[in-house]
Amino acid sequence: MQSGFAVKATRVAIVVALFAIWEILSRTGIVNPRLLPSASDTLATLGDLLQRASVRKDLVVTASEVATAFALAVPVGALIGFLIAENRYFADVAKPLLFFAFSIPKSIFLPMFILVFGVGFSQKVGFGFFSTIFIVIMSTTTAVESVKVEHLTVARSYGATPVQTAFRVYLPSMLPVLLEALRISMIFNLTGVILAEMYASRDGIGHQIATWGENFQMKQLLAGVVMIAAIAIAFNELVRWVETRCSHWRT
Amino acid sequence: MQPLANITPLKPAGAIEVRNVGQVFKTTTQDVVALENVSLDVKPGRFVVLVGPSGCGKSTLLMMMAGLRQQTSGTITISGAPIPEPDPNRVGVVFQEASLFPWLTAEENVEFPLALRGVTKSDRRARAQDALKLVGLDGFGKRHPHELSGGMKQRVSIARGLVQDPPVLLMDEPFAALDEQTRMTMGDELLRIWAATGKTVVFVTHSLTEAVYLADEVIVMSPRPGRIVDHLQVSLPRPRTYEMLSGDAFGSLRDRIWRHIRKSA
Amino acid sequence: MSAATLRRLIVVALIALWEFLPRAGLIPELFLPSLSSTLAAGWNEAGEYGHALAVTLYEVAISMAFACGGGILLGAIVGSLPRPRILIMPMVSSLYAVPLVILYPVFTVWLGIGSESKIAFASIYGFLPTMLATAAGIQTIDPQLLLAARSMGATLSQRLVRVIIPAAIPTVLSGLRVGGALVIVGVVVSEMLISSAGIGYLISRYRTILDSPHVFAGVLLVLAMAIAFNAAIKWIERKAAIWQTGTRAGQDAAGEIAPTGLQPAT
Repeated sequence: MQSGFAVKATRVAIVVALFAIWEILSRTGIVNPRLLPSASDTLATLGDLLQRASVRKDLVVTASEVATAFALAVPVGALIGFLIAENRYFADVAKPLLFFAFSIPKSIFLPMFILVFGVGFSQKVGFGFFSTIFIVIMSTTTAVESVKVEHLTVARSYGATPVQTAFRVYLPSMLPVLLEALRISMIFNLTGVILAEMYASRDGIGHQIATWGENFQMKQLLAGVVMIAAIAIAFNELVRWVETRCSHWRT
Repeated sequence: MQPLANITPLKPAGAIEVRNVGQVFKTTTQDVVALENVSLDVKPGRFVVLVGPSGCGKSTLLMMMAGLRQQTSGTITISGAPIPEPDPNRVGVVFQEASLFPWLTAEENVEFPLALRGVTKSDRRARAQDALKLVGLDGFGKRHPHELSGGMKQRVSIARGLVQDPPVLLMDEPFAALDEQTRMTMGDELLRIWAATGKTVVFVTHSLTEAVYLADEVIVMSPRPGRIVDHLQVSLPRPRTYEMLSGDAFGSLRDRIWRHIRKSA
Repeated sequence: MSAATLRRLIVVALIALWEFLPRAGLIPELFLPSLSSTLAAGWNEAGEYGHALAVTLYEVAISMAFACGGGILLGAIVGSLPRPRILIMPMVSSLYAVPLVILYPVFTVWLGIGSESKIAFASIYGFLPTMLATAAGIQTIDPQLLLAARSMGATLSQRLVRVIIPAAIPTVLSGLRVGGALVIVGVVVSEMLISSAGIGYLISRYRTILDSPHVFAGVLLVLAMAIAFNAAIKWIERKAAIWQTGTRAGQDAAGEIAPTGLQPAT
């Protein structure tokens, strides 16, 4: 327990030290403060930005795009993943194709989404969906395959119905893998939507960040970077926390 | 073994002496006594087996004889001299199956300890061939470990332990990962190699049958803290045969060990 | 019909549909130009694409040296020292959750819109997975192998050269594959966002004038680059890892990072 606390304290210290170095570099003028505004200025700017209605609106836009893309990609991807994992022939046909689709870079198809959807909500959701769905399919397949054959045989030999097998064997076996899949899917989803916003968009926080960059507004730009990083890390840690809570039976 | 004569004028090569050895592991919360006051004499050329339940420190004791770990108290000498660090000229070690380097062929694995010492390629190859021949793997030198069966891998490990011709061979559960039949065959093979080379062997195992079948002497240990609770002389004639397994002499020895182990479990 | 035959048929059908659907007017050429017009567009401007490819490859090569060199070096250090590992690895995985593309505008402000900002961004983009994979690879080396080497009297440097490095090669290569793919993506994406040269720049320029065939020609070129890189690493993996079946530990390590690592994100 004690050493666990020490490790956490050291991590906090590392983060604080990084911010302190950032502050010192800028304050002492070792780095031009116009190129690197100090940490305190950046955090103050972040506070200001969060008060602004326009920034809040951008955050809402981004959040709704992320949520929509996620809500579409997860069920569709999970369904395809199940079908592939459950049908041997289908799996043999589809898996190499999927692996290929999985391994090619997705972002270079971004212009295609603009050509098809124009610039707007559906283009960004579409691209978010496209960046996410392959990882959802792959992870669902992995999750189904992680169910131990022995467990299924035991359930069958005791006369479990398909529904009972689904809820009492499949679900508990797959839960940890599925949570991990959700976490990673969200990373890809967020990256996809923000990239789409930065590339061509009229609103959303990604668009704001790109604009601040083009106008050399370093304080706002860095504040935006810190804000998105904080949101992404917080979400990631939340899911990881849930993961560790329900993965203790996973062997 | 020329150099050994210089180190030790009194003790013959291959003798192992363990005197009042203790081992304490310090963790952040508490100190765990793994071994307490262990003393043991192994005469040259003997086959000694260490048995005991998990956590009795038998592997720890073996690691200390190999110079891979230092005891907290007491002394250990091999051929009359302490062993502060591993010395493959005095002690060869055979581990469980996983310890062959998967990226090297069988003969390169056997050559490994020689290569560390800069022995020339041709010399290395010749000595590796001899060692592989000794363990019955003539002609398998070019294969990688994943192309060998479990038993063959352990033969390679034994060849690697013997390639520098040390007087002592230490074996840490070498056949634990093998199936029953292979295990029996490997036991006979090991006895053949031992008889041909005259090495001192210290062998750690979980299997009581294996212990009695192989040993001149069986050392029984108890867990936490690890102590020697019995020291049996196995006077069954050699060569050992499969028929002995069902004999009374064999059975009573095995029962005696089992009673110790059940008591401490 | 065997699965492989059906799969080939599907691929052929997809390529055929790509040619005929736009030709028949079932899909507007703006959305999806036919394969032949895409190839023709690329061929007609071969000089322009060739020049852009040279710029992109130059940026990719330098970024790859930074990302993979740095990633392998730091991964090896962090992976082999338990204390820094326990301390830093979870922090690095957290960092992995951040959409790093938001850093690109910062680099354009600092380094301008030339190659430097692309190289800086792509290096960082490819660095993390390479480092994670290397650290995982070093960390999961079977301790029995190190113990065996020590029992044969191997010194620290002998253990490093003869045991740790060969045992870590499979995982490092899989890290290189992921990191390298991300470097390619990083360079092209940053070129697409703001730049004045490179394939990504061409794709974006033709996109703004709604010249779909030329956009697709660029996309195809990048795809070919990514696939060629992947194939090259796989070839090296096969050459270097004849013992593959033996390194279960290394394989597991690769599997561990695979969900995060395997995917060239976006």
